[in-house]
Amino acid sequence: MFSLTRRLSFGLRYTNVPSRRNESNSKKLRGPAAQDVSYFRSVLTRPSHGVLDGTASHDVKDEIDKKYNTDWTRHYKGSSDLVLRPQTTWEVSSILKYCNENHIGVTTQGGNTGLCGGATPISNEVVLSMEYMNRIYKLDEYSGVMTCDAGCILQSLHDYAEEKGFLFPLDIGSKGTCQIGGNVSTNAGGHHFFRFGGMHGTVVGMEVVLADGRVLRLNIDNSEDGNNERTHQFQQSSASLRKDNTGYDLKQLFIGGEGTLGIVTKVAVACPALPTSKNVALLVCNSYNDVLQILKTSKEELGEILSAIELIDSNTMNFIQKYGAGNGDHLMTELLSSETTSKQPLFILVETQGCNQESDFSKMDSFLTSLYESSTIENGFLAQDSKQIEEIWGLREACNPSVAQAGYVHKFDVSIGIESYMEVAEEVSDALKKSNLPDLTVCCWGHVADGNAHINIISGKFDGDVNEAEAIENIVYSSVMKRKGSISAEHGIGQSKRKYIGQTKDEAVLELMSQVKNLFDPNFILNPGKYLP
Amino acid sequence: MRKILVPIKRVIDYAQKIRVDSSKGPQGVQLKNVKMSMNPFCEIAVEEAIQLKEKNKGAEVVAISVGPKQCTETIRTALAMGADRGIHIETKPDVRGDYVDLQPWAIASLLKGIVEKEDAVDLVLLGKQSIDSDCGQTGPLLAGLLNAPQATFAANIERGDDGSFTVERETDTVITCDLRLNTPRYPTMPNIMKAKKKPVDTISLEDMVKELGLDLDEVLTPQNEVVEVYEPPPRKEGETVGSIDELLGKLKEKGLVA
Repeated sequence: MFSLTRRLSFGLRYTNVPSRRNESNSKKLRGPAAQDVSYFRSVLTRPSHGVLDGTASHDVKDEIDKKYNTDWTRHYKGSSDLVLRPQTTWEVSSILKYCNENHIGVTTQGGNTGLCGGATPISNEVVLSMEYMNRIYKLDEYSGVMTCDAGCILQSLHDYAEEKGFLFPLDIGSKGTCQIGGNVSTNAGGHHFFRFGGMHGTVVGMEVVLADGRVLRLNIDNSEDGNNERTHQFQQSSASLRKDNTGYDLKQLFIGGEGTLGIVTKVAVACPALPTSKNVALLVCNSYNDVLQILKTSKEELGEILSAIELIDSNTMNFIQKYGAGNGDHLMTELLSSETTSKQPLFILVETQGCNQESDFSKMDSFLTSLYESSTIENGFLAQDSKQIEEIWGLREACNPSVAQAGYVHKFDVSIGIESYMEVAEEVSDALKKSNLPDLTVCCWGHVADGNAHINIISGKFDGDVNEAEAIENIVYSSVMKRKGSISAEHGIGQSKRKYIGQTKDEAVLELMSQVKNLFDPNFILNPGKYLP
Repeated sequence: MRKILVPIKRVIDYAQKIRVDSSKGPQGVQLKNVKMSMNPFCEIAVEEAIQLKEKNKGAEVVAISVGPKQCTETIRTALAMGADRGIHIETKPDVRGDYVDLQPWAIASLLKGIVEKEDAVDLVLLGKQSIDSDCGQTGPLLAGLLNAPQATFAANIERGDDGSFTVERETDTVITCDLRLNTPRYPTMPNIMKAKKKPVDTISLEDMVKELGLDLDEVLTPQNEVVEVYEPPPRKEGETVGSIDELLGKLKEKGLVA
């Protein structure tokens, strides 16, 4: 079989990345054995729930395979035989200390909704699931700082904050399943990144357990920790303050560190006040130039109340109509019957959040009017009430699940300059047509105001041909890199993008990152086989 | 069909969490900075009116609302969905529409006057109830005052022919609408633009009452007095048990199992 990569000359080099210390160290790791399982049982407060031993029975092994050894995209499969589900930080500390001393690999897992295989074991590492560490401790009603366990499901944090009149600043499609520890560890972006910024800014404190078992409390209140007999061993740290400039901000290393430097066990997140006025409109336009005009106008006319701008292209919308709409059927019919001059219209979701319904509505009204009168948009749908707001957002959140049902999905999450946002999708589409890779549809959707495009290439067949995957990656990444973009805007590295990190970062940067890893995890037990090349 | 009247109500959006300070009695409902929308059942009524208008050329749909000045927004939404004209009976800002001040009897009396004033009204379509007072009385009261046939909780309306429910071509018929009747459309840009030019007549409550020959005191004095407003008691936390035996024990304790 001839190499497809050779035919396409976009200048992408697959050089052999010089072997770094992580590779040789990780060879010294082993999987857990019977005596290890006994030890783990002895340190967990509820061993009957906290230890899933795959060697004990077929049922348990099945459960582990289905729930923990596979990821959401079903692209990655591990072969772990042991899942540990601790309930307290002390348990996590004991587990890691033991694994570190015995060179046992550990993969941390939250909601298992990641899209790069970062939470899936690569072979038989121990899976450390955070699902039972899910207490919410408090929300300070003046500072808005919420303190909770890392295993809390994101939706539950939204609900809790809403009760108290606050809004949790992170919002992503998987919020019904994903856990905040995972969100922090992957520096998740989401729909409201534009308005509230990312986790590097909103996370004000965290508690993290290092590979050797030491517990770091970084600007977080530990007074509610259930295990009081152990807390006297730790220094009382500052309590979830909004501002604290005393020393290197270590927590930033763990945000986006994907569990390779330590395990996040608690977080303190600053929540803004819940907006009382929300407006959502879905706009239909003919070309990306119109979208650029929408972006400009929205900053002028909506200004400080603008909270999200999302793009969905025609190919994606067609898949949603086929596989996803559900509640939005009515909207979908009205949407797709809009008269447009282009055969491939683009759909833009605009959301505003503020505290005065009248003035927000009047801003939205003048914004839509000016777009319509200048023919920037062909049509617009303004949600009249909460039900219609949910329906419009429902369409945006249906993008991922809908294409997943359409075939095998080659997923890309890239950052490009906003002006050239659609160019990558268009260039890739042209290149794929010219190559002899058949039956591929290029879908593009995403956080256009952040320059973040989710490019998903759907193959009609379900089998996932490796050569095809590599050829497609080649085409997409070279298109992105020649525009000096990022090959992973928000999804992270995990297993899927390791090899590209070596090519997109300077030698000095890679060297320092490697040294940091060595400092925090010298035995390389944390999430082996991931992240750094 | 000549005219279809659709009374609509501006209420707290159905998805909003209602906060109540029960120590303040009826005034304890938090209304400040709370999202308001058209009552969902009124939306369905507007949608139905427009669908009927689309099937019957020449029919005119008039949206009416009684409430503070912000009601014009609600009427504009109805116009953006396709209503032709609006009438806004403006009340002073502190007059509460959620049963504390204005109650169904007063509203029905006002609407009766308007139906008679408008003349040529073939159908009045209302939502089955408003989600703030949940009375469901305005429609039936209006029908009684007009001595008109009424059908409440309509899940399907067919005009002209056969089975299900038919609206005969009698004048002054009153129908209230329920959930399954239709799915309200979105206001789209072309219609939002047109709506800005559609006429909305505003008249103060006092003037309207005078014109209809009603008694202002009677309209503003509620027939029933709201004595107390409180939040439903919070759901109690469940208990976790450690084993099936413990669960059985608890169930027996509570007399739920023999």
